Amino acid sequence: MRAQALGKTYLENSKLDAFLERLRRFGALHGPTVSDAGVACFSPLVELATLRLDYGRTLVPPKKYLLPFREELLQFQDGSYRSAAAADREVVLFGVHPCDLAGIAYLDTVFLSDPPDPGYAARRAGLTLIGISCEPDDYCFCTEAPERADCDLFLSAREGGYLLQAGTPRGEAIGSAARELLAQAPLPPPAPPRARRAIAPQDPQLRFSEHPLWERFAELCLSCGACSVCCPTCYCFDVREYPRLSGGSGRLREWDNCLFKNHGAVAGSANFRASRLERLRYRFLHKFCGFSPLQGMVSCVGCGRCKSACPVEIDLRELIPGGAGPEGGPP
Amino acid sequence: MRSLPDPHLPHPATLLERRQLSADTALFRVAPAPAALAALARFVPGQFVQLSVPGAGEVPISPADLPGEDGTLELCVRRVGHVTKLLHDALPGQPLGLRGPFGTGFPVREMAGSPVLLLAGGLGIAPLRSLLFHLLRHRDDFGEITLMYGARQPELMLFREELVALAAGGALRLFLTVDFAPLQPAGDFSCAVGLLPDLLQGFRFDAGRSFAAVCGPPALYRCLVGELQGAGVAPGRILLSLERRMRCGIGRCCHCAVGQLLCCTDGPVFRLSELASIPEAL
Repeated sequence: MRAQALGKTYLENSKLDAFLERLRRFGALHGPTVSDAGVACFSPLVELATLRLDYGRTLVPPKKYLLPFREELLQFQDGSYRSAAAADREVVLFGVHPCDLAGIAYLDTVFLSDPPDPGYAARRAGLTLIGISCEPDDYCFCTEAPERADCDLFLSAREGGYLLQAGTPRGEAIGSAARELLAQAPLPPPAPPRARRAIAPQDPQLRFSEHPLWERFAELCLSCGACSVCCPTCYCFDVREYPRLSGGSGRLREWDNCLFKNHGAVAGSANFRASRLERLRYRFLHKFCGFSPLQGMVSCVGCGRCKSACPVEIDLRELIPGGAGPEGGPP
Repeated sequence: MRSLPDPHLPHPATLLERRQLSADTALFRVAPAPAALAALARFVPGQFVQLSVPGAGEVPISPADLPGEDGTLELCVRRVGHVTKLLHDALPGQPLGLRGPFGTGFPVREMAGSPVLLLAGGLGIAPLRSLLFHLLRHRDDFGEITLMYGARQPELMLFREELVALAAGGALRLFLTVDFAPLQPAGDFSCAVGLLPDLLQGFRFDAGRSFAAVCGPPALYRCLVGELQGAGVAPGRILLSLERRMRCGIGRCCHCAVGQLLCCTDGPVFRLSELASIPEAL
């Protein structure tokens, strides 16, 4: 932790707007806002007045900055494929909660491992993350430390302002660029506690257990896929190619959804996950047990989006002993 | 910033020729560009490549021969979807794309010295033909080679003349069977009528030392693994080539998980012992 390197680390509320304006030097400033339809979302902060730091959770998690819903991977033109041009924009994403930061850290593990995904890597390199502490609500179930700096710069709410902790050289550079806006912290910054997940890795055999909830969930589930769309660590994708009138074609990567029936389909008519029960089990396995190199890694970060978005109130954590519910809730 | 090598970018390749094998299945001979050919030098039978048909997309296909031997690659493809339809309509000279090889192949080094039983159903003959070519090329390294191949009807049996010629030369024992057969004209090569597991039941072999390599439709595995285990083949020596729809081939898209394993990187060839606790695998 290099928080001390900043020296002055306290930002008074009255200086917040000036600080945000200063952030624009480092890229296009984005943060939590509320849309005209009343939906919380990360969007460009053209006007600082649109910033809503009292947000609970955005409907769509910040993964959209790293994995666009649809992106071009390749173009075919004049007899050969070539990689699509990389995005090279700089974005400063302000006001990200610790659970979403943990989600991005998980996506980094997936997409920056060998072989790194060029599109993801380019967007990640251009993304500055400024985290902020939060107040958990009824849907939250993380035991992430409420204040941690798995990001470039982390703001912990204190009486009358924020305590700043830099997590990277870029965070330190931001602190330096805003030096005259900062004051000496009234208290030294607390040592960042180690983050831990609310749920321990699960035994994959639990998915075949006789737990009565499996059948109940399968009857209720609408296969709408909302839980996966809004999950900060769901990343599975489909790849499609479309011909162009010019004679070439474009290959696109799009978010896919393991709750959708065609997710397990193969050529011909076979489908390895034709039933809702099988698809729910697949999601359970991916979230709480992990696939292949990530076996034993829980990707649920406790943001509560799936529970708040599910139209039939399915909460897969109820399957886990002590995972959810009034008696088994997390501490 | 796009200086990283792009794992999604296929190498160029060209369609050289197509040979119709049945009403909906053809053998495509493809010429990979040098870079693709260099990558294919590490090919092990049972691995797959991602074949791109421009304008349509990409499909995972297990080569049906040993790619690179003569600088070309044979892909046995059934016309079942969007991409394969465009491939079937393509003319020689059509530009294609190739990525891979991906995944695990058959453990050919470990199989050395043992008898090998190949069990193919329908289009499942394609990857096993590649394995068969490997076994025949290194004939002295392996024990007895037996191929049991089942198809729905005689006209759907792929590579029949080729397999019969190899068997006639003494390279392997060949058993062919079809589910249904109309009256076959005299003089035509005839085969048994019945299912593969029935064929296996009457078959005597050194089960304790043998490896069994199986590839076919999902229903085939469920029938055969019981028979093979009953005959005494160890679960670690029953090799199953599974089918899933691999979109990326590099363990990212998450369409192909078999339990917690990914078909594209941990498979597509699995040992039965790996799949024992995964009821939905077969």
